[in-house]
Amino acid sequence: MNFDALLLSFRLAAVVSAILLMLALPLAYWLAFTHWRGKFLLESVVALPLVLPPTVLGFYALIALGPRGPLGRLWQFLFGHTLAFTFAGLVIASLVYSLPFAVQPLIASFESLDRRLLEASSILGASRLRTFFRIILPLSWPGLITAVVLSFAHTLGEFGVVLMVGGNLPGITRTVSIDIYDRVQALDFAAANHMALLLLAISFIVLAVVYGMNRRVWSPWLAK
Amino acid sequence: MNILPQIHQCESAALPLPIAAILLGFLFFPCARNAHAQSLRIAAASDLQFALGDLAAQYEKQSGAKLAITYGSSGNFFAQIQSGAPFDLFFSADIAYPQKLIDTGFAESDSRYTYAFGRIVLWLPPESPLIPANLQWNTLLDARIQKFAIANPDHAPYGRAAVAALQKAGLYERLKSKLVYGENISQAAQFVQSGGAQAGILAMSLTFAPAMKSGKYWEIPRDLYPPLEQAVVLLKSSSNKPATRAFLAFLHTESARATLARYGFTLPSISESREARP
Amino acid sequence: MLFVDIRKQFRTAGSPPFLLDVRETFAPGFTVLFGPSGAGKSTLLDCISGLLRPDAGVIQFNGESFFDAARRFSLPAQLRRTAYVFQSLALFPHLSVEANVAYGLSALPSLERQERVERILPAFHIAALRRRKPAELSGGEKQRVALARSLVTQPQLLLLDEPLTGLDAALRQAILQDLRAWNAAGRIPILYVTHNREEVDAVGERVVALINGRVQESGAPRAVLDAPRSIALAQAAGFENLLNAHVVEQRPADGVMRVALASANCELEIPLGTAPPGAAVQVAIRAGDILLATEAPRALSARNVLPGTLDALEPRGSLVVAQVNAGARFIVHLTPGAVRSLQLVPGLRVWLVLKTHSCHVVLP
Repeated sequence: MNFDALLLSFRLAAVVSAILLMLALPLAYWLAFTHWRGKFLLESVVALPLVLPPTVLGFYALIALGPRGPLGRLWQFLFGHTLAFTFAGLVIASLVYSLPFAVQPLIASFESLDRRLLEASSILGASRLRTFFRIILPLSWPGLITAVVLSFAHTLGEFGVVLMVGGNLPGITRTVSIDIYDRVQALDFAAANHMALLLLAISFIVLAVVYGMNRRVWSPWLAK
Repeated sequence: MNILPQIHQCESAALPLPIAAILLGFLFFPCARNAHAQSLRIAAASDLQFALGDLAAQYEKQSGAKLAITYGSSGNFFAQIQSGAPFDLFFSADIAYPQKLIDTGFAESDSRYTYAFGRIVLWLPPESPLIPANLQWNTLLDARIQKFAIANPDHAPYGRAAVAALQKAGLYERLKSKLVYGENISQAAQFVQSGGAQAGILAMSLTFAPAMKSGKYWEIPRDLYPPLEQAVVLLKSSSNKPATRAFLAFLHTESARATLARYGFTLPSISESREARP
Repeated sequence: MLFVDIRKQFRTAGSPPFLLDVRETFAPGFTVLFGPSGAGKSTLLDCISGLLRPDAGVIQFNGESFFDAARRFSLPAQLRRTAYVFQSLALFPHLSVEANVAYGLSALPSLERQERVERILPAFHIAALRRRKPAELSGGEKQRVALARSLVTQPQLLLLDEPLTGLDAALRQAILQDLRAWNAAGRIPILYVTHNREEVDAVGERVVALINGRVQESGAPRAVLDAPRSIALAQAAGFENLLNAHVVEQRPADGVMRVALASANCELEIPLGTAPPGAAVQVAIRAGDILLATEAPRALSARNVLPGTLDALEPRGSLVVAQVNAGARFIVHLTPGAVRSLQLVPGLRVWLVLKTHSCHVVLP
């Protein structure tokens, strides 16, 4: 049982969902409320990782984060080594890969808010920031939870991107999904089975806790 | 996405911050990083899955050093190393990749060492009704073999050897439609072992694994494919050259060579292996 | 004093887009904005409050510029010190009544905030509900909270969009009384939007009738709504009967003129107007202004008595709507008691009595 890989996967998923939440909130806010005609372009870019094969993402990520890519060179200049094959590199690649899973539930939540509530807040003198923190966020709690849970779960299950960008270095970039793959290739099916079951159980418990926080029927005051 | 959970509404304004704090707490979890920092990082061709594992165990026991091995296809490692993958040592399944790494300045020129010659076999699982030792190439022509697996010849030397053998035997065009490709030779073995393919042209070294031992095989005549000369190189990016050289030295020892022989590798003579071949 | 002179293209669901074109001054006190749905009333309020940007024009309040298209200037809604109560109320569902009411006071020091909240809660009879959430309130309670939330900020302008729909008459009266009491002290302009005739009477000091984005008429409620000068306004103001007719003759000496109904072989005497003989007009009559008799009436002052047949009776709450065919189709409002005592049934021969001054000429 390889706890290193399990811990690494959870660290990756946790860091990615935390950072993604910070990034996705302003992005989703802008996409939900802007009237810009070119909005659909940005929406398509955000949704790209949903439809692109992980290998495409991994390929371009490796180029960008490697010694010949812009990000890689910058990192090398700052820290003395490239981003590829490091935990930080995995985080960055995963941020792109899981972005739509954080942004889209937030957009759905923001868009389902009754606009009159936001207007009332403005009329009562609240700035846009205050309206965001006191009205929009509290009423978008489910969307927030969904965004965090989905990006966490999605990152946990990543394989193709991590394999290409990470190099499968034990303890550093060997996530549990890759480890299971390795065990299968080594024909060690028992170990593969154990880890797969453990991952399944933990993921299930996380989701059950989140969905089990249901204490009230969905309130009718969200319009539409 | 209609999977919004039904959540008790909360009045608190700055909700995402406590969540982020908990999640970022994971960052400070004691991680395995330190333990592995001192390990020797080895990239190894998949045919060494079991042989190198054995060697590593021996070496760790006798020297106290720790080895972190990543198995995969030689071609993939070649590409990753050129993108800066931080390995100390690269065990290829051929000699061309290591040489190219030396030529492009990624490996130490004096470190190339041919550690073994690999062999390919036609392997069938124990429950197969066919006996490859008798039928030889006719095994693959049999209708009961619907699919057989080889490693991907694009980047795996064992895959290239398999294709070469099939072509030399004049069977490649006839059998092409039955081929399935493993991403590396280990995956090819896994395809056959699990029953996805009914046969495979695999590395002999893999057939000594516990899960493969009871299978049936036929050693494909060595004159049908170019010799699988397998070399190892020390990489310039290595952060621990002395320890790496120490392990390299271990490979020259009798016990190491004997271990390799046990897994079906042919060993170069002591003088042969030291020659740097073009 | 609120001065509005704006134009805005707008569209309501299902109808073609049209132009809101309003030039009005709103003095302190209640002004009722009256008109049918889709007339642009809510759009006008949205422009005044700063939620919508007009396409052209100016909005000024007490000399301060709210909006000036020429200078590309629009004061943000947050800074207009305007209170706006929406039809949907938009109470914050996750906040208590107290938190809702205090929401607009965040810029104040907490002591003053507390004081104002403590004063307004009992003024609107919602002090006992302070910890409840909006979902736990009745319709009337919600409306009071919405009003309190708006008024506690001491706005300089109050906009109310159909604030009392759905409430029963007694509750409406009570809330209106509270509002009036509140305004007596403050005297700010209050724009009160409604399409309900009764509310106009209850509230109105002044009525502005908005039809298809334009101000049709403005003035005292009686003048605007009881003598509508356009069909749209007549319909909006609840004249259930609109009959096509043409002028037969004018009788200045009697102060009346005679018109012949287009669909019937009968003539009506209506108040004297300017239309010449032969001109096509429409006659608007309220259903509540028509009397019904089951015997041919005699010796009446009313000049218009029309025989006909009772086609249908439809009970609707506190009244009964009768459809009568007297040459033209008439809608008549009766009380259930009258229906019983006259023993009205469909098919009965009846007579309709219309006073001259219940008939209004409406220009087409």
